[in-house]
Formats: sequence, C-alpha cells, structure tokens
Amino acid sequence: MTINEKLDLLEEVLDIKQGTLSEDIELDTLGEWDSMAAISIIAMFDEKYGQTLTTKDVKSFRTVKDITDLME
Amino acid sequence: MATGVLKNVEIKGIACAVPDHIVKNEEYCDVFGAENVQKFINMTGIKTRHVALDEQCASDLCFVAAKRLMEKLNWEPSSIDALILITQTPDYAVPATACVLQHRLGLSEDCIAFDVNLGCSAYVYGVWLAASTISTQNLSRVLLLSGDTSNFGINPKDSATAMLFGDGGTATAFERSEGKEIKYFLKTKGSGYKCIMVPAGHARNRSKVGVEAADCELAMNGSDVFSFTITDVPKSIKTFMSQYNINNNDIDMYVFHQANKFIIKHLAKKLAIPAEKLPISIDRYGNTSGESIPLTLVDALGGEKSNETVRLLLCGFGVGLSWGGIYLDIDKSVCLPMIYTNDYFKED
Repeated sequence: MTINEKLDLLEEVLDIKQGTLSEDIELDTLGEWDSMAAISIIAMFDEKYGQTLTTKDVKSFRTVKDITDLME
Repeated sequence: MATGVLKNVEIKGIACAVPDHIVKNEEYCDVFGAENVQKFINMTGIKTRHVALDEQCASDLCFVAAKRLMEKLNWEPSSIDALILITQTPDYAVPATACVLQHRLGLSEDCIAFDVNLGCSAYVYGVWLAASTISTQNLSRVLLLSGDTSNFGINPKDSATAMLFGDGGTATAFERSEGKEIKYFLKTKGSGYKCIMVPAGHARNRSKVGVEAADCELAMNGSDVFSFTITDVPKSIKTFMSQYNINNNDIDMYVFHQANKFIIKHLAKKLAIPAEKLPISIDRYGNTSGESIPLTLVDALGGEKSNETVRLLLCGFGVGLSWGGIYLDIDKSVCLPMIYTNDYFKED
C-alpha cells in the first residue's frame, strides 16, 4: 500500500474529509479522534490486516504515522 | 471449551415485556451536541430505547412476561419445578429476587428458585442451566427469567452509556421432551473483569476512603470489549460449529447479543452471515443486556402462528468477560407478541 492509499483508508475509517490527513498530524488535534475512532481503528486492523489491537495499543498512537507504520 | 449436548428438553414458549416509556436518542443533543449524538447513533444503530419508570424493576418486567407465558401455555403454577432469574439489577442486595418472584407468581414451595449474576451472556448461560436441570436432574418444567433495568446506575453525562441501554424482562419456558436436544458452548475470561464494571456499592470498595459516587456507576472500556468480541467470539463459534459439524446451511437465524450495530455487523462479516439471517432489535430497543437474545427473537417472531421449525444459533458475549453459544431449534409459534407495560410491584 502506498502512503496515500493508507491515508485514504484512514480518512474513510475515521470519517474525515478526503485529502486532509498527513503523517505528521498529531491525533490529539483531530476532533474525530475519540473512543468511537478507537473502535473503528481496531475494526480496520482486524479486517484489513488480521491484527488485534487493544485499547493500550491505540492509546500509544501519537501521530498519524504511528498508525500508518502498522498498516502492513 | 465447555461444550455438550443436553437431551430430552425443549423451549415451549418465550415472552418479553418492555417498559411503555420510549426515549429517543436524538433528545440528547442538548447534553452531548448534535454531531456527537448522530455519530453515536450511526455506530451503535440505537435510535430509541424503552426505559423503565423509576419504580419499575427488572423483576416487574420478568413477572409480566412470566405471567403471560404461563397463561398462554396453560401451565399451573404448581407444575413449575424451578425458577431461575438472571439479572444484574436485582430488587435487593438480599434476598435473591427469584424468591420474591416465586411468591408473586404463586409457585409451589417445592419450586427451586435462585438468582444468577450475569449480563450480556446471561441468556446462553441460562438456557444451558435451565435445560441442564431438566436433562440431568429429572425436573419437568423450568422457567428461565432474564431481565435488566440497565439504565439504573448510569451516569446521565457519560456519552458511552447514557444513550446505550434499553430495559426489558423475558421469560422462557422449558419442558421435558423426548428426542429434542440443545447443544452449547460456554467460556469465561475473568482477566477482563474490569472492562465493564460497577467498581463500588457492594462488598469490595464498600466503605473505603476515596470511593466516589461515580464508582457506583457503570464504567465501560468499549474498545477493549470490542477487541475481545471480534477475536474470541468468532473463534469460539467456528470451533463449536466445527465440533458438531454445523454449517451455515444448518442455521436459519443467528441471534446475537445486541451490543451495538457495529459489533454485530463486524461479527456477521467475519462469520459470513447473510443479513436476512441476522435479526436486529438494537435500533428500537437499545442494548438490552442479558435479555437481548430472547427480546430479539420475540421482536422477529412474536405472534407467528406457523409451527414451522427454525434452527437457531444464539450467542451472548460481554461483561465478565463471559460468552457462550447455543444451537437449538424452536417452533416459530413459541414466541408471544411483545408486551408493553407500566406495571410494577407495590410492597405491603
């Protein structure tokens, strides 16, 4: 997956306007980054990558890059 | 995995009573903001919920359901050998609410009556327990009551729980029946006991310094519950189905605990369940805790006249963490129509 494909997917999962995410963005600055976003991220990793994330994993994410790095 | 087959027992009837009072989640826009409320509705699927009056307990809803079911089946109170109540919102800390219901329903003094404390997995554990007492203990008729008024003890300002729960009470009638059988699996993962919890108000943390009122309210770690559900639950269902050689064509309806729509849809996708085999009640009733499985059955089949057999896979999962599944068949006609009630018990 290219970085742009990853960002597109993340925007779709988090219901964020296409083309607004970049890897350096800090998650805490996103209004969409809440407990429901955590569930959506866990679902995405399970469905697309067969990985099981915990709340602890999601809480450890600081920037968008922390998420895209795991999207393999 | 604890699995097995319980022989010579079947479900003769299922009834469900919900409070008359309907709350619309869109009424919470003033509390949480319109955007947040819409986001919550989109994810959980919950638009409306039936919420109990302050005076109305889970036992009152179960009582109404049980009374109606006994009338429909023409079951004399004296013919009932056991009453099992599964709830996390009993009337009192002491005594067991099942004893009060044995009295209110006019059941015999020879009737076994006790409470079980389970939530989301209550119904599948209850079916196993009620069916076991007939299959292995020689009882003939057993009433399983499963109900909760989960809105009791909720912080109205906690957006994770304030718009989530609906209240309800159900009654399921089990009877000895030669040749019929119920297959089950049951599991527990107590390491996740803190995922859904009311930390104080009972024996532990009862009077310690630092216990806040908030500790007596339900706290939920939604994302950990979600992780557990989408990994452990489908794995167990697949193992169970493979052990008993059950495939998707052997199942007419998958009736899952109505935790939230997102979880149910995700599970369905992982298990390749078509939408027409997956009844949903959460949109109109909310997350109805342990009674969500019989409530969903009543919502889907209530009042059906046909005696056609329907093969069911039931699955409950959540608080504990605790989960399990049941494979059985019922006649479509065993489900009574949904009951709406404001009734409650007035103590002498």
